[in-house]
Amino acid sequence: MGIEHKNIDLSVKLGSTSLKNPLMTASGTCGYVDELDDFIDINKLGGYITKSITIKPRLGNDVPRIVETDSGMLNAIGLANIGVEKFIKEKVPLMGRYKTPFFVNIAGQIIDDYVAVADKLAQFKQITGLELNISCPNVKQGGITFGTDPALVKQITCEVKKVIRDKILIVKLTPNVTNISTIAKVAVDCGADALSLINTFTAMVIDIESRKPVLANRTGGLSGPAIKPIAVYLVNKVYNEVAKPAGIPLIGGGGIRTASDAIEFIIAGATAVTIGTASFANPDCSVKIAEGMKNYCARHKLSSITELIGSLK
Amino acid sequence: MEHHLPKKGIFNASVLQNKNLGDKFYRITLELEKNGKSVFSSAVPGQFVEIDVSRLALPAENLIPPQYSDAAKRNIILRRPFSFADIVCSEDSVIVEILYTVLGPATMRMKTLKSGDTISLIGPLGNGFSISENKKTAILVAGGMGAPPLVHLSGLMKSQCKDMEIIVFVGAKSISELAFFDLKIDKLIKTKVKLGEFEKHNIKTHISTDDGSAGLKGFVTDMLKNWLIQNKPDAKDTVIYACGPEAMLRASAAVSTEFKIRCQVSLERRMACGTGLCQSCAVKCLNKEDGSNFYKLCCKDGPVFWSDEVVWE
Repeated sequence: MGIEHKNIDLSVKLGSTSLKNPLMTASGTCGYVDELDDFIDINKLGGYITKSITIKPRLGNDVPRIVETDSGMLNAIGLANIGVEKFIKEKVPLMGRYKTPFFVNIAGQIIDDYVAVADKLAQFKQITGLELNISCPNVKQGGITFGTDPALVKQITCEVKKVIRDKILIVKLTPNVTNISTIAKVAVDCGADALSLINTFTAMVIDIESRKPVLANRTGGLSGPAIKPIAVYLVNKVYNEVAKPAGIPLIGGGGIRTASDAIEFIIAGATAVTIGTASFANPDCSVKIAEGMKNYCARHKLSSITELIGSLK
Repeated sequence: MEHHLPKKGIFNASVLQNKNLGDKFYRITLELEKNGKSVFSSAVPGQFVEIDVSRLALPAENLIPPQYSDAAKRNIILRRPFSFADIVCSEDSVIVEILYTVLGPATMRMKTLKSGDTISLIGPLGNGFSISENKKTAILVAGGMGAPPLVHLSGLMKSQCKDMEIIVFVGAKSISELAFFDLKIDKLIKTKVKLGEFEKHNIKTHISTDDGSAGLKGFVTDMLKNWLIQNKPDAKDTVIYACGPEAMLRASAAVSTEFKIRCQVSLERRMACGTGLCQSCAVKCLNKEDGSNFYKLCCKDGPVFWSDEVVWE
């Protein structure tokens, strides 16, 4: 029979804050604040991670910016966004409508950009934390070039940490490295309160008729169910080698579509999970996954989802 | 308290019919009830739906044309956008008609749908054509698969704007690519092809094909231009609505500029979500104040744009 749903606690701790359930939106797949309003009650999410915000507005890359692949897709949007000033004026005030904690993903071309954006955003009580995007594969400067170099990860994490006051600092890691734990360790040593992983894999699709890449940017980031087993492996690796010893929570993601997928990540060591590509096809899927998690807990007689974190045998 | 109905949402629809039409076209008829009915009853021509066919099986191997056999094997994850060919509202339900061709892994699955099946729709999405009721003449220009939303538009205009003259130009590569053309129903006297879908509303249709296999030989936009030269409609009292391949829309925009007749175009872009989340369907637009370029989203700001706001490349 198991436990009744009302007695199952899905809440998890992320640094100094508490999420009512482990479900979070993945940056770049859910808009700025209220875009999912037509489809879900945003208050039912554990946390909301916005799309990347940069110091100046960015137009983004030329089209085509996406292409579907076998059980996945490539994107090369190029961090198109309205810039931090407009974000503060138009989007931050909307956050007050919801009880869900908001985390703003920030990106930049140079370290000073990250620091400036973080400094401006840290003033707002509506914002619970910041996620450092040092893993975008689709921009010429910044992004992944930071996330693959331990010295730069150190510098950027330390500099941003200095200006964000009480905000939670999440560092989002790229899988496009030889050893993800090396980068994870540097971020944790410099004061990251949580790590999120993984960003997309650099990839390419070729049009064999024209012999040209399909994407205008030539390469893009691979996401979707195709990458899920690799993401589960990397979450487990970082959990064992860095997060567990340091007592730092992981936000796991990569191809999650169902409650079963999400539970795999939690068993592997994730405290929270992000839903990304799946929201494109089913914008209500994060809320459905939360329900599915309760069914799993009931069946396995778990009164709290936290019993499952890192429980891999 | 008044119940607030959202403008769009995720709904299940039942398939009433999925019929092969002519050589390569299929016409699917979907019925929405309850909330779906209420939301879709206000859908307008030029808007679209995102259909989830990812859970459908492929047809048997021998039913897949060899030229599509590689593409059909791909596992799909994203929904596919389709514009409306018609929407019929009754007391209990809304019936949505969609015309499609089989050209990839999604539509290959879609053609297996049969009466009684249920599918998931997101919609109605985007902004449709805006009908300028004070105009005397409306010119509809359709290219290839651009015909369905203009059939929808012509039906609506015929009932709403009784005094407006509606002229339709339809072009295609060849007779087999002429949307809605069915040899079994439509008469073929080479230069006098009739398209039942427009003829049923008593609308005069001019047809052209690139190879001359039906109607006049040449591009539909050349036919449009010749008609404008001969008939000299008053530019202020005339409006053009165009839907078709990008090159045809670019040519329509050029005609619009040359004859100073305003023109709405329905654009197509690769899109992952259709709801403004993924930012992939960027349309380069002109800021008329300072001449700079910026991107709008095809799914949310379009798919219908005024031709003079788009930067044609």
